Amino acid sequence: MRKLLLGGLLVGVWLTGSWLFPVVAFAQEGFPLDGTWRGEHAAAKGAPTTVVVIMQWDGKQVTGTINPGPNGIEFTGATLDPDGWKVHVAAKDAKGKDVILEGVVSDLGKYSRVITGKWTEGGQTHDIRFVRE
Amino acid sequence: MTSASSVNKRLLPMVATSVIAVAVLATGLLVTGCSKSNADKPAPRYADGSVRLDREPGEKGYWDMPSATSLVEEGVTVATDTRGKLANLADAEKVAPFQPWSLALFKFRQENDLADDPMKVCIGPGSPRQMMTPGGVRILQDKNYNRVYLIFGGGNRNWRVIYMDGRTPPSPDEVTGTFLGNAVGKWEGDTLTAESIGFNTRFWFSNSGLPHTEALKLTERFTRMSHEVLEYEVTIDDPRTYTRAWKAKWTLKWVPGDIEEQFCEDGRE
Repeated sequence: MRKLLLGGLLVGVWLTGSWLFPVVAFAQEGFPLDGTWRGEHAAAKGAPTTVVVIMQWDGKQVTGTINPGPNGIEFTGATLDPDGWKVHVAAKDAKGKDVILEGVVSDLGKYSRVITGKWTEGGQTHDIRFVRE
Repeated sequence: MTSASSVNKRLLPMVATSVIAVAVLATGLLVTGCSKSNADKPAPRYADGSVRLDREPGEKGYWDMPSATSLVEEGVTVATDTRGKLANLADAEKVAPFQPWSLALFKFRQENDLADDPMKVCIGPGSPRQMMTPGGVRILQDKNYNRVYLIFGGGNRNWRVIYMDGRTPPSPDEVTGTFLGNAVGKWEGDTLTAESIGFNTRFWFSNSGLPHTEALKLTERFTRMSHEVLEYEVTIDDPRTYTRAWKAKWTLKWVPGDIEEQFCEDGRE
């Protein structure tokens, strides 16, 4: 009985995955930066630091928030250059120091597209890779 | 008698020839008249005088054979294949009044041979695209509930509803975007006009890969020009994607019979 239940569960998971996967793999949306992005960069001592960025396009400018929540910070400026899909995001942290993302959007045709580039925060610059959630 | 008989003998071929000529002429006129009357037959109407966009009682038919195979701004001529692929990528900027990012994304989709088309995984075509997707459409007027249903044969055998009861459309900011949006309609003379908002961005509203955002608003006009011809006009208004609202127009033909059954199978076109 237990095996039967486990088997049923596995089949259920497989069926759910088989329905969801193609949509996730192929579906794409309008403005390439719209959505929630999660990335990681390696801090100086090796522990990865997660960064969440929410971006939206209002037709004239890209606005957004870095690490939404009590300590979230709003963009002071952001651009997407369609010539090469280059992204630039600027913000100021609580101490007034620059937070900057310079990157490039890839996997443009996928829902889970990617931004790879450099993340500058607290005077240090790291490689970073964001994936759209 | 001999003389009369001789006259009859001479007249008979002439009379016979005349009869045949008249018969041929009459048949020709009849055939011409029939085709003409089919082509010129006016749009059927309900007893209250309103236009029927679907079948008359006892009739079978649906709308298909669109005059256009890809969505392009009215007045613009660019060469595309039946999949919406441009013959010349340099024509991309003529297709619609793009913002820079949407032109770049449109070109990317074109250069990518439309490989990311959501219809490849059975996501339905957006409303304008559905009106040019082979497979046919029926437009059912539900006078009891003041709604119009569009039933589609192409794509993933979908349907949508246009509310005709005078309701106010919801604010786009207050709805969760859907594939077919929220549509409210009204009659302007013999033309059914529908406004739709509240779309998500996971579908393509053209086979060529024209981008859109959640700000998309569609205004569609359905006019039955005659028994045989339906004119469809759509205005695309998405200020986050295009520099101005723009429109396209094409016709569909009345096809006798029933929409054929077909279903989209995941991963196959």
